[in-house]
Amino acid sequence: MRLLFLQKEELEPFVSRLIAWQEVVGPKAKKNRFVFDKLESPAELRLDYDTTILPPKKYFFQPQQDLIRFSPEGFTGCIEPKPRIIFGVHPYDIKAISMLDYLFSDGKKDWNYLANRQAATIVGINVHQVFKTAFFESMGASIVTKGYDLFLTDIGEEGFVVEVATDKGEALLAYGHFTQVTPDQAQKRRKILYGQSDRCSQKLFNLPEEVSEKVALSFYHPIWEEMASRCFSCGACNLVCPTCYCFDVQDMWNLDQESGIRFRTWDGCLTEDFAKVTVQGGTENFRQDRSSRYRHRIMRKAVYLNSKLGGPACVGCGRCASACPADLANPVPVLNKIMEG
Amino acid sequence: MKIPKVAFFDFTSCEGCQVEIANFDQDLLKLLQVVEVVEFREIMKETCSEPLDIAFIEGSFSREKDRERLQKIRQRANLVVAYGSCAATGGINALKNHKPDYKYKVEVYGADATMPHLETQKALPISAAIPVDLAIPGCPVNRQEFVRLVSDLLHGKAPTIPNYPVCMECKKKENICRYELQDTCLGVVARAGCGALCPSNGIPCEACRGFVDNPNLDSLVELLIKTGMQPAYAMAKARMFTANLVEE
Repeated sequence: MRLLFLQKEELEPFVSRLIAWQEVVGPKAKKNRFVFDKLESPAELRLDYDTTILPPKKYFFQPQQDLIRFSPEGFTGCIEPKPRIIFGVHPYDIKAISMLDYLFSDGKKDWNYLANRQAATIVGINVHQVFKTAFFESMGASIVTKGYDLFLTDIGEEGFVVEVATDKGEALLAYGHFTQVTPDQAQKRRKILYGQSDRCSQKLFNLPEEVSEKVALSFYHPIWEEMASRCFSCGACNLVCPTCYCFDVQDMWNLDQESGIRFRTWDGCLTEDFAKVTVQGGTENFRQDRSSRYRHRIMRKAVYLNSKLGGPACVGCGRCASACPADLANPVPVLNKIMEG
Repeated sequence: MKIPKVAFFDFTSCEGCQVEIANFDQDLLKLLQVVEVVEFREIMKETCSEPLDIAFIEGSFSREKDRERLQKIRQRANLVVAYGSCAATGGINALKNHKPDYKYKVEVYGADATMPHLETQKALPISAAIPVDLAIPGCPVNRQEFVRLVSDLLHGKAPTIPNYPVCMECKKKENICRYELQDTCLGVVARAGCGALCPSNGIPCEACRGFVDNPNLDSLVELLIKTGMQPAYAMAKARMFTANLVEE
C-alpha cells in the first residue's frame, strides 16, 4: 500500500489546482444539509459533512439521462463522458458505487453508466460526522479497501494520510505537495480507520447474513402491512438510495415532430405504477398493494441481491430513513423486529 | 404527416392556461409550423365551425347550459384534450362544491351577483359533460408537458402522465424536503409532472395537478396534523385543488 502525507494547509492549494485542471465536485453545504456539487473554490469543500441528500451515483447514473437522439436521418448515441474528480466520498458510498459498477456490468454492459464511471476519479475521505440515521457499521461499510483512486484519512491538526490506490489517483499527485508519511502518522491512520466503532446510533442486532436468511422467510410477516399503512408510495427512499438503479425509458419528440430523444429517468419500486405491465391489451400490476411494494424494497436490499453482490445491497448510509416523509423507511427497526420474532 | 387543425376553447377558468401556451415565445412559431390553429381567443379574433383534429378545452364544466356547447365541440373534433386542472379535475373552482351556502358570489360580485351568467352548479371536470381523450393537469398547464403529450397524440403513442408524487421530482433535483424545514407540503400525494416547480423555488406543493391515483390521504392528514396544523385546516389544505378527488 502506498501512503503519502498532505499537510492541512496544503489541502486548499491541492484542491485549487485540481479545480483549475478538471471539474471537481465535492460535498457542499445546502442550508441544513449537504450535496455533492461542482466546486468553484476549495473553501466550499466540506469534508466534515455527515451525508449528502443524493449519493454520488448521480454523476454516473444521472436522474435523467439522454440515451439516443433520433431524426428521419437515423439515430446517434448520447454517451459523452466528462472527466471529473469526485472529492470526499465516504466509505459507504464507495462501497455502493462498487456495487453499481457490478450491477451495470452484469450481463450486457450499460455503457451509459460505465462511460461516466470510467471518466471519474474518486477521492475518498473517512467519516467525520456520522449522519443521524446512518448504520453503515452494521452493514460492514465503515471500511473500504477498494473502489477509490485516492483515500484521505484526516488524522487531525497535522493533515491527511493519503492512500494512493490506482494510476488515476497517482495522476492527481502532481497537483499537490505530498510528503513521505511517518510511522506515527501511519499508525494514527490505522487507528482512525480501523479502531473506531459504535459511532452509528442505528444498529442491526444481527449479522447481515443472518438477517438475509430470516428475512427471506418472512414474506408473509404482518410487519409489511403494518409499516406500509402510512406509506405514501412516494419513492423518496428509492431515489436517495446509493444502490437503487432502476429507471424508466421514454421517447420525446422535439417541436418539429420529426426528431426527438430517448431518455431514461430514475424510477422507484415504491411507486404505484412501477410494476404495472401490459398484459393482453390490458394492464396488470403485480405489486398493487402498498405493503407488497414496501416489502419489495426491503427484500431487494436485504435478500434478493445478496447472491449477486456477496452481501446485502444496502450500505447503511441512512438516507432513506431521513428522506421518508412518513418516517417508516428506516430498515433497521424493521429488520430487527423480524429477527426478534 | 398532415398538418392537424386545432382550436382552443375556454369554460369556467381564468384562461391562464391559454396565456401559458401563448407565452411560448419563439417556440410558438415553431409549433405553428406543425399545427394549424383555427380558433384561440387569447391570441386571435377568428373563430371557426369546421371539423377539427384536436379541440383543446380549458376550464371546468360548471353551468348546465355549457353542456350543449361542449357537445358541439365533441361532435366536430376528432380528439378532445381537457388541459389545465380546471378542465382535468375541476381544479380550484371545485372548492365551491363543498360550500352549501355559496355566499362568496355576493362578496365578489356585489350587486351583479344575480346576473344570469353567474348562475352555476358544481364545478366539474370536462369529462363530466363529454368524453375526453386526454386530460392534462396543471395550474397552469406545463408547456413542455403539453407539447410532449400532444406530440404523443399526434404520433399515435399513448400519452404518459406521471402517476408518482412530486417527491420523486424533488429528490431528482436534490431539494431539501419542506418537512425537514418545518414546513408542510402536499408533494407526498400530489401528481408529479411539474418538475417540482414550487418546492424548487422555496414554497410547498399545493397539489395543483391533483393527486396520484391512490393517494394515502389518511397518512397525509396525520402528517399535516403532526406539523401542528388543526385537523379541519389540514383537511381544507388537502383539498385546495382537489375538492372533487377528496370525499367529505
